[in-house]
Amino acid sequence: MSRVVEQIQAEMVSNVLKIVVTVGDQIGPGDTVVILESMKMEIPVVCESGGVITEIAVHEGEVIQEGDLIAVIDSDQVAEPLVP
Amino acid sequence: MTALAQVPDLESRDPRDPSLRLENLFDPGSLRELNRRDESGVYTARGTIDGAAVVAYCTDATKMGGAMGSEGCRHIVDAIDSAVRQRVPVIAIWHSGGARLAEGVEALDAVGLVFAAMVRASGRVPQISVVLGPAAGGAAYGPALTDLVIMGPAGRVFVTGPDVVRSVTGEDVDMERLGGPDTHGRRSGVVHVTVDSEAGALQAARTATALLAIQGSFDLSAAVRDNEVDLATLMPDSPQRAYDVKPIVAALLDEPPLELHTRWAPNVVTALGRLAGRSVGVIANNPLRLGGCLNSESAEKAARFVRMCDAFGLPLVVLVDVPGYLPGVGQEWDGVVRRGAKLLHAFAEAVVPRVTLVTRKSYGGAYIAMNARSLGATAVFAWPGAEVAVMGAKAAVGILHRKKLAAAALEDRQALHDHLAREHERIAGGVNRALQLGVVDAVVEPADTRRRLVEALAAAPAGRGAHGNIPL
Repeated sequence: MSRVVEQIQAEMVSNVLKIVVTVGDQIGPGDTVVILESMKMEIPVVCESGGVITEIAVHEGEVIQEGDLIAVIDSDQVAEPLVP
Repeated sequence: MTALAQVPDLESRDPRDPSLRLENLFDPGSLRELNRRDESGVYTARGTIDGAAVVAYCTDATKMGGAMGSEGCRHIVDAIDSAVRQRVPVIAIWHSGGARLAEGVEALDAVGLVFAAMVRASGRVPQISVVLGPAAGGAAYGPALTDLVIMGPAGRVFVTGPDVVRSVTGEDVDMERLGGPDTHGRRSGVVHVTVDSEAGALQAARTATALLAIQGSFDLSAAVRDNEVDLATLMPDSPQRAYDVKPIVAALLDEPPLELHTRWAPNVVTALGRLAGRSVGVIANNPLRLGGCLNSESAEKAARFVRMCDAFGLPLVVLVDVPGYLPGVGQEWDGVVRRGAKLLHAFAEAVVPRVTLVTRKSYGGAYIAMNARSLGATAVFAWPGAEVAVMGAKAAVGILHRKKLAAAALEDRQALHDHLAREHERIAGGVNRALQLGVVDAVVEPADTRRRLVEALAAAPAGRGAHGNIPL
């Protein structure tokens, strides 16, 4: 079986204001991964499935484009299966 | 496949049996056949949901995969027409491979007659589809023409199947990725509600039907509850911080709402629920997604929802916290002007009571689109500290005083910008100017919001739009 990973991507052009997690952190569904700044607002980006952070692809202060990868989460360790 | 514990002779019945599916949809013991189960591939019946009369039809997947021929289509047309005569909702259960090939053009003609019947009924009685298996080809447009589409885990909707796709475009895709719940719930917007079990999908159809068919009336004594949540406590401390609007929607309503299009265009939330005993529709910007900006998809999603609620007489609650329209080449090329115009049209056309609440800010063109006074809002409220303006004060003075700012010494520029912004806010910002003009009726406290919304909606004359519900 392939590993279940969640790739968190940017929804819009934004500035990375703050990275809240570090690689190896265990986070749950709805937890904040990074805080972006766009349209003069601070927008928390939350994880859908929960799991372990395996990669953070951005750094604070960086301007990212729509669709850019922000972080990768290994969701294999979550007990509940993902909702389809 | 299906949790059917309540049916005693489970072993002897095929889970695709349409009479079984309709029994599971209706209140126990309420099913009355409209046509005998035959070889037509369609089974129709009337029954009740929470006591409300409804008509339902179900394609019979045990007969030629539920393919639609002239006889089956005639059953569907008769069922829809009888529902319109009785003014009761129609629920469709789909599990069909499309038109019967052996019947050729006769089957196509019959499927077309079904579509025509659906459009005749559009806006007159609620039409709810539950897709429990493949709904392919002609059958795909059956659900698509109805007001609400609910999909179970085995539901698949596509015009051409994986084999045809592969032979024409070379794309290798399976039925689920082509037209399953994730595809239609997240990408296409074809499906309003995805549910992870067949029983859950039928339950969702019951919930939606009850909200549309048993609308109730506003009970003013229920407008204030003992355990009322102060909505202010659900807001973040910083006015710049985005937040999820869904807990606020849930706290306003009597019970958890039925959210539609949860994952498609999530920057606007559309939900059916009850407020002080009456069914209402709620539209809310969600700052957590795209900062709550309106964009082409969310404007279209909200517009269709507004028109559906108007067609069936559901009052609207509009929660506004919007920084504007999402800027970008992609949006313009995606038709944000054409698709955004649908929302303006939908609100301006709506005759149901519709009350707007600005929680934090409402800027620019999006201010108008979110049921502004100028579009005919029944009432417009704002929370203390809300801003109603063309844009934020800082951005506004950056444009208005561009030369003055550029002429200032670099070390003084920020202070001057702040000073000008405060001045601008005093004259043109905040909510005061909007109050003076009458485009905001009153400032209401978050803790008092539910009562004010209910009173305003209950005081307005009831209305119901005289139009169909084209799937925008």
